[in-house]
Amino acid sequence: MTLSSNPPVDAGRLQTALVRWFSELTHQGMFATDCSMRIMVWNRWMEVHSGRTASDVVGRPLYDVCTDLKIRGLDQHYEDALTGRISIISFGLHKYLLPFVPTNAELGLTAMPQSGRIGPLMDGEAIIGTVTTIEDISDRLANEAELRKQIDVQRMARVTAEKAMRAKDEFLSTVSHEMRNPLNAVLGWARILIERSDVDPAVLSRAVRAIERNASALARIIDDLLDVARISTGKLRLEMHPVDLSAIALAAVDVIGPSIKAKQLELRTRLDPKTPPVLGDQQRLQQVIWNLLSNAVKFTDPGGVIDLTVTRSGADARIVVRDTGHGISQEFLPYVFERFRQSDASSSRRHGGLGLGLALVKEVVELHGGRVTAKSDGEGSGATFTIDLPTVMSADVRHPQAEVDQPGSDLAHSLAGVRVLVIDDESDSRELLTEFLSKCGAVVSTVTSSDEALSHIRMSPLPRRPHVILSDLGMPTKDGYEFMRELRALRTDDGGAIPAVAVSGYANPDDRQRALAAGYQTHVAKPIDLAELSAALARAADRG
Amino acid sequence: MNLTALQQDALVEVINIGFGRAAASLSKLTGQRVHLEVPQITMCPLDELSEHLRPMVQNEVASIHQIFSGSVAGDALLVLDERSAAILKELLTNEPAMPLQMDASAREVLTEVGNILLNACLGSFGNLLHVQVSFSVPHLTLETLEGVVSSVTVNREGLRYALIVHAAFRLKNSSLTGYLIIVLSVASIERLIRAIEQWEGGER
Repeated sequence: MTLSSNPPVDAGRLQTALVRWFSELTHQGMFATDCSMRIMVWNRWMEVHSGRTASDVVGRPLYDVCTDLKIRGLDQHYEDALTGRISIISFGLHKYLLPFVPTNAELGLTAMPQSGRIGPLMDGEAIIGTVTTIEDISDRLANEAELRKQIDVQRMARVTAEKAMRAKDEFLSTVSHEMRNPLNAVLGWARILIERSDVDPAVLSRAVRAIERNASALARIIDDLLDVARISTGKLRLEMHPVDLSAIALAAVDVIGPSIKAKQLELRTRLDPKTPPVLGDQQRLQQVIWNLLSNAVKFTDPGGVIDLTVTRSGADARIVVRDTGHGISQEFLPYVFERFRQSDASSSRRHGGLGLGLALVKEVVELHGGRVTAKSDGEGSGATFTIDLPTVMSADVRHPQAEVDQPGSDLAHSLAGVRVLVIDDESDSRELLTEFLSKCGAVVSTVTSSDEALSHIRMSPLPRRPHVILSDLGMPTKDGYEFMRELRALRTDDGGAIPAVAVSGYANPDDRQRALAAGYQTHVAKPIDLAELSAALARAADRG
Repeated sequence: MNLTALQQDALVEVINIGFGRAAASLSKLTGQRVHLEVPQITMCPLDELSEHLRPMVQNEVASIHQIFSGSVAGDALLVLDERSAAILKELLTNEPAMPLQMDASAREVLTEVGNILLNACLGSFGNLLHVQVSFSVPHLTLETLEGVVSSVTVNREGLRYALIVHAAFRLKNSSLTGYLIIVLSVASIERLIRAIEQWEGGER
């Protein structure tokens, strides 16, 4: 190749060189014909994708080389081009101009997606042929498909969020409804007791039992709410040990027994002793089985049957709760484990509850690496809940009855002769605690504030100094944390080392940690369980 | 300069012939019946175009713009409001619409549809005037109505008129309207009107 500055460049040769230069560019297809539709230019891109070289096709009629054009009626666009019109060949309406092999197989198209243009080739005012350009739009389509997917995802997320908002609204009204019922009973009975000077013992006992029952119901609602909150913030801690599901199922049956009897239902249990142990939190698993049984009781009419089965299923352990109750409609079935969802969210709901029980079941089971499914042949045909949990092969299995304190059990520890100082700003609480602890044999003194407690301790001669302190955490002016820090700052001779138990209505792990950090030996949540409280006090007193 | 009722009727008829062809090719392309007609045509000086269009299209519009040249020369546009543009694309391709800014494939389909309509309309004028017009490559833009109007008014000398051709689409039980705007010089308009009158009087 030589570089020549003279002679002057011929315009025609320059044009030819330019056409050759552009035809070497490979990002777009280009071909041109003369007015008799013979191919004059066929660029490199066309050679690559058609598999035919320029030397093979130039000079031949376009419709002979690209037979597809006439078959698909695209020759009309060339007729138009010869009258000066331009045609757009969009992918959306044509898919492609010429049937080339796809460059991106993932799009799932049979031909390379194209965007084309057909127009006249002009020499001044005169039309001297046609020119066609073709673009491979595979990348563009892939991007658009991705965008479309993202838009869909966003739309779904919005729909889900709106649904969740609605469910939450319904849930709030359910919560207030469900809490108001027991609250009304508590308030009603309490007022009767206040207003009547002479209450006959039978009424008194009925009133107190109603108050106890309804307050327990409230406590359970709060427990459920806290569990849901813990799960959704990832704070639910499971104490995992190899456990025997049959034993846990029996413990749950013990708790649900009275409700089954009261509703005249029949419970049939089949607990296969050969079911391998699972790695799990026995209390949570008991709650799971209890929730399923309680759900079955709620939705089964008197005379109905509930089956509880624990068996091995392949490598898993399987728990099945089947009832002959109201069943679940096909429309509601997919939502049965969703939080706050109840098949009947109207204010006239026949069945109480927060709609949290089954959501908790699902979440706890999934935290155990298991899965739960619901089946029903429709309304009136009963329902079957099946839980599959992975098993462990281990001999170290806990038996729940041996260790779990049944709620409400009266196994109070003796506190005979133990001096307890109760600090609480609310007189009701002070009285209740005095009553509880006296029953266990404790010698109880009460004070109403942190400062009073500190002076009480300082003033008491050693033989009358409390063995153990029981303090509320939430108190005006100086709370239970502050009190404990001041107490622990005292010398041992002045009472700085007296063991202490905190009691509060806030049952989450953070409150507990804070109490321990302040210097309490242990923390007991309200509502107070006598057995738990007396045990905690006895342990603390022993230590001191 | 105003169009008489007779001139208007004749113009509608001429354009409808072109639209019939356009509808036929759209029907063939999409495999469904596309109906297209001109319910109305108005003419105004170019500087009044904005106020004529404002009641019909609001906010952002999609416009397909082509320049044509020959013995009759000017600008031709198809203007669709954004909603109609999205619906039209969806109806023609059976694909769910997404915002046009993100959807190059939708913009391309609309460009092809605009090109077909503009060619049909100007092709009818060409036949009527026995002249050949050639077109620039069509371009689609998404902008405000003011932006569209200024794109045909800037750097244009001499008094110009705009023909506003209502294009009513009917397909799949849906209907929507787009607007064809053809901007012509006074001389071209006069030639067109003369040709219309001759066609009306003689060839009909």
